Amino acid sequence: MSEDYKEPESVWTSNRFWSRSAGWVTGFSAVLLILLTMDTLDQITIGSAKDLENKVTKRVPSASVINYKVTYEYSDVRGHEVPVIGEKELFFGRSDYSEAEANALLDKGKLTSQAKNCMNCHTLLGNGAYYAPDLTKAWLDPAWQAGGVMQGMTGTTSVDEAMSVFLQNPDKYASHARRMPNLGITPEEAKGLVAFLKQMSSIDTNGFPRNFNKIQGSTQK
Amino acid sequence: MFTEFTDVVPSFWGMLNQGPMTLTIFLHSIIVLPMYFIYKSEKKRMGH
Repeated sequence: MSEDYKEPESVWTSNRFWSRSAGWVTGFSAVLLILLTMDTLDQITIGSAKDLENKVTKRVPSASVINYKVTYEYSDVRGHEVPVIGEKELFFGRSDYSEAEANALLDKGKLTSQAKNCMNCHTLLGNGAYYAPDLTKAWLDPAWQAGGVMQGMTGTTSVDEAMSVFLQNPDKYASHARRMPNLGITPEEAKGLVAFLKQMSSIDTNGFPRNFNKIQGSTQK
Repeated sequence: MFTEFTDVVPSFWGMLNQGPMTLTIFLHSIIVLPMYFIYKSEKKRMGH
């Protein structure tokens, strides 16, 4: 300590006070972030087929959710819509996809979405562009449901068939003011993409995105 | 100001993430209050 060192006269100018405070805040924040990360990992972990059979609600349901009917219902308590997994529903003529089969479809869909660069125009779970409609809840969009414009336009009677037909030849359908280009998607890729979109729609995103089908240029007014 | 906790998986950490009010109360109790005690102990140590 040099000779001209003076003991601080006030706590506010004492290094000890600030270093102890900084130590507390940094140490506490580090511990808090680790615990929050562990909590997040728990919440974003994908569920299993058993969870669906036993009606265990998971934020991210298993790929086997393609075997079930998914609806979007307003929850008074939570103040927004929540995906509700209901009874069994046919997905391309079947409702008995094993978890392995469902996972394979989901993988195929995800890889196709990356290969075709869907995010260049669309948004998926908050990632992507705003040029085309948000696809996070596409499966639940009334436009694709019975009585919706997409089934009528594609001449189909179910959401899965309507999406599949549309995805293989999107340029044929005037779905939006900005028409989607034909990306050469094969029937197998389309099936995977539809599984991917259905599983994504069944994820509980705390009501995000709000008013997902009210995007400008959408067929939904 | 205070709304019911309605997360899918109820957890302590989810509660902290409900809105600005809960977060503010939490951070003040956890960060600012201990700093007050640090301040007091430093003041005592200085003999003021």
